[in-house]
Amino acid sequence: MKLKSLFVTLIALLYAAQIHAAEKIHVVTTLADFTRQVGGDHVEVFSLATGIEDTHGVPMKPSFVPRLNRADLVVLVGFDCEHAFLPALLEASKNPNIQKGKPGYVDCSEGITPLEVPKSTDHSEGDVHPGGNPHYMLDPELAKVAIQNIYNALVAIAPQYQADFARNRDAYLATLDAKIAEWKTEAAPLKGAKFVSYHNHWVYFAGRFGMEYFGTIELKPGVDPTPRHIEELVSSMKADHVSIVAREPQFPEKVPALIAKETGATLVKLPIMPGGVPNTPTYIDEMDYIVRTLVTAVQK
Amino acid sequence: MQENLEKTQNEQRQQIEALTKKLDELTSQRQTAAPTASPAAVTTNQLNELNEKVNQVVEAQKKTLPSEFNPAIGFVGETVFSYRSKGSDQTGSDRPGGFDVWQRSLEMVASASVDPFAKGYAVINASADSASSEATLAVEEAALQTTSLPGNLELKAGRFFAEFGRLAYIHDHELPFVNRPLALDEYIGGESQSDGLQLNWLAPVPHYVSVTAGVGDHFGGDSPNPDHPGTFRAFDGLNFWGRLSSYWDLTPNWQLESGISGLINPKTEDRGGALLQPNGVSTLTEKERRLAGFDVKFSYVPLQNNQFRSFNWGTEVLYSDNRYLSDPDGIPSNGDEFKENVGSLGMYSYANYKWSRQWSAGFLFDYVQSTQNHSDVTMDYSPFITFALSHWNQLRLQYTHTSHNAASGLKPDDAIYLQWAWIIGAHSHGWQQR
Repeated sequence: MKLKSLFVTLIALLYAAQIHAAEKIHVVTTLADFTRQVGGDHVEVFSLATGIEDTHGVPMKPSFVPRLNRADLVVLVGFDCEHAFLPALLEASKNPNIQKGKPGYVDCSEGITPLEVPKSTDHSEGDVHPGGNPHYMLDPELAKVAIQNIYNALVAIAPQYQADFARNRDAYLATLDAKIAEWKTEAAPLKGAKFVSYHNHWVYFAGRFGMEYFGTIELKPGVDPTPRHIEELVSSMKADHVSIVAREPQFPEKVPALIAKETGATLVKLPIMPGGVPNTPTYIDEMDYIVRTLVTAVQK
Repeated sequence: MQENLEKTQNEQRQQIEALTKKLDELTSQRQTAAPTASPAAVTTNQLNELNEKVNQVVEAQKKTLPSEFNPAIGFVGETVFSYRSKGSDQTGSDRPGGFDVWQRSLEMVASASVDPFAKGYAVINASADSASSEATLAVEEAALQTTSLPGNLELKAGRFFAEFGRLAYIHDHELPFVNRPLALDEYIGGESQSDGLQLNWLAPVPHYVSVTAGVGDHFGGDSPNPDHPGTFRAFDGLNFWGRLSSYWDLTPNWQLESGISGLINPKTEDRGGALLQPNGVSTLTEKERRLAGFDVKFSYVPLQNNQFRSFNWGTEVLYSDNRYLSDPDGIPSNGDEFKENVGSLGMYSYANYKWSRQWSAGFLFDYVQSTQNHSDVTMDYSPFITFALSHWNQLRLQYTHTSHNAASGLKPDDAIYLQWAWIIGAHSHGWQQR
């Protein structure tokens, strides 16, 4: 009898857990922090990237496929930022609801006017993004558009939780707005400061905070620098007094360190996603780190 | 093309926004201007001109360009320069000995959605042989693939590379080394091309398990039987294959993928005809084809910088168990023929280490027993190094030492290959290239 009641209790608990789990919206995303902030308890979020990856080099792991198969939404940065891995994963997922163009496919770049839309997608220009530079997330004002897109998608799929999503969104946007004001104040010394980075990630950030984005260590997007390019970059950095070399964590340190040494610039490591460096699990942590690091570098 | 259209539309949208904004500003200025303000500040003509510009851009957006319906098209070129120490008469190779240049692949790939339910793709391949001045053009793949079947199913139909083993369905220029492993050439006949149907099912469980089953009227490099043109093919004359594969994240950076595959053709219609044996007298005629395989791949793909560092070790073991009609005197139907099963083992194992975005190097070991005589063994040892100038432009240098045992009568051979492969146009990071 004891065993029977234990068995019944166990079944009831499992059933309750399933019900609870079934009520959650399963989201697979490359924008986990925002999705969790807006979705709150109503979402179960799986991130395809941990933050330390190159957005163009997230591995196409078969273990992602069952998660995408069960997903209600796939939330992505957009502007083909995820082109190197997401289309193949979506095809393998066999989930028609999250294919491109379907309601479950949430492109957070909707409504954002991209910078650097290429005039040519010829491979002589490297691995360009036809829709424009996809790294708008490094501009916190544009990140708010992505948050709104996530909100819209969650409300569309679960209108019964609209009030909760709206409350979460508004609370987070209020926090983000306060941080934006703080960053703008803190980043005052960055105005006019020139910097280079390994890959072309920073045009939106530079525009927002008044920095001058001087160029990239890569010869072209996705193409490693040649010795001649490094030489020319060093020469022009010296002539224009470029003071910062930014290395994103997914790129090797050797060449950025060499360029920094040759030019006398300060070498800094800057993440491009939450989690890209230790102790930056959220977007706000990430942006705090970026602003603080650059200000420190400029003030050296 | 779709991306270009979207880009054009984005630009036009921006133009409309800018022009509309200007129009609003001017209209607002006109309304708030003092009555005595100079009419030259904003004129009706200027407003009309702006309206006209906005309308032109709006109309331009409505037009459809003929090219916007084009599929995504890419082109792959692959040239293999080589030097072999022995002539093909001594090595059994289908390429000449000495110096050789072979346009192995000139491949056009096109793909697009057919409708909300399926996509289609085609791979048209040409090769050019300077030794014989021959050029061949062939449809390597042309298939329809469903995109929205229920039950985690995907159906492929047409001509395609069947999902068998680890590398059988990979195109030559995408292999991790220059030449297809000996076991795949011997037991499959190159790529696993088939004309047929293939159904794939993703198991609805948290762990990745994929099951594939297919049927087709040829598999790989089938040689038609010259003595039986137009033969009636019964159901058991078709090829049936299947694959079960799974995957494990050993750690965030280490991966393991494994699979088992099987192929059976119960009635091969004397595939290849009566195959003359090395003694120059007896023949073997294939009656039934059976092939089983096991494959495994360990990969180190660090999350942080896998574009600059990675390691792969892949191994595949194949067992061929074909049934033949053996004719000792080579004279058909005179009563001395008998049925014979020939079991043959083949395998390959390769490792590849990448230490920068551009450079990687590895080693391939090949072992194969002939499908007609398991005592006839060939082994290859191939170190190789790859230099990727970019994502679309790659050079590979490979040395191969081939050794045969006495059963084949062939001579050992040393060869050096320089492979140059390039891509133009659209390219996609397909599931098979992971």
